[in-house]
Amino acid sequence: MQNHELIHNYLKSLGKYLSRLDKTDADDVIREIESHIHDALELQDQQDCADEIAKILAGFGQPRELAAQYVEHILQGTPPPTGFKAIQSVKKGATMSLYISMGLFGFGVAAILVLAGFYKIFVPNGVGVWSVTQGNSIIITFSEHTYPNSEELFGLWLIPIAIGLGLAIGRLTWKVLAALKKKY
Amino acid sequence: MMKKADDINDKWDVQLRKGSLELVILAALKERQLYGLELLKFLHGLETMAITEGTLYPLMDRLKRDDLISASWVQEGELRPRKYYQLTEKGEKKLSTLTSRWRKSVEDIELLLNNPGPSLILKKGS
Repeated sequence: MQNHELIHNYLKSLGKYLSRLDKTDADDVIREIESHIHDALELQDQQDCADEIAKILAGFGQPRELAAQYVEHILQGTPPPTGFKAIQSVKKGATMSLYISMGLFGFGVAAILVLAGFYKIFVPNGVGVWSVTQGNSIIITFSEHTYPNSEELFGLWLIPIAIGLGLAIGRLTWKVLAALKKKY
Repeated sequence: MMKKADDINDKWDVQLRKGSLELVILAALKERQLYGLELLKFLHGLETMAITEGTLYPLMDRLKRDDLISASWVQEGELRPRKYYQLTEKGEKKLSTLTSRWRKSVEDIELLLNNPGPSLILKKGS
């Protein structure tokens, strides 16, 4: 009886790892392997020999590894059956909106930084980065007045910093979008 | 020394089988229907073809998905049902393609083995 338990446990474990397959396919695989094990035992005329069972099971390998070979093609992405175009277009839509929002955000931030840099050239007091005294915050202002109780950081250095940072972010966004586009 | 030679043989067999296993299975099923255990025992009877159960069954599954073989459960009398495999039309075509490539490879290797240096001898007509 214990030997039958060996077989039973093996097949049960295999079934667990085959759960990604359709139930009919998984059942078919298990049925075939079960049939093989019993046939092989009969062939040896050793219905209850634990050694023989262990040898046969070893030939199949660990349930997990055996199942992995049956499931491999699913993980590698089999093309969806025809009639599933709706799912594909939803997927595509999600990718498109991600693509667009990432583009808007990245280029938006880049444009604001570059504009701020250029604006400071013409209106030095119109834009600035302020460190609030005794505080932990930094404030970026677009205003004609200095920010109360605070000290301006960078001064005119803000011009190259803002323009450089803006261009860098713009370039980064461009690269990310190019990579995304390649993928889809 | 003997052990080392066996080791080389085993490694060679494994490497060669990796590339030729599909041809081996298709050839084994040519003009006959076999079930898994029968096919396995058949191959084990050949010196360089001893594959394991864990290699055979997933491979059969892939060949079936690729429509190179088909399978059907058959129950004979009181016996346990067995899943028999046979070639499909596509499988037969693939077998004949692979067979001619295999023969070409063997021919080329033989040519190399039969023509040691120093001079390079080209096959007649090429």
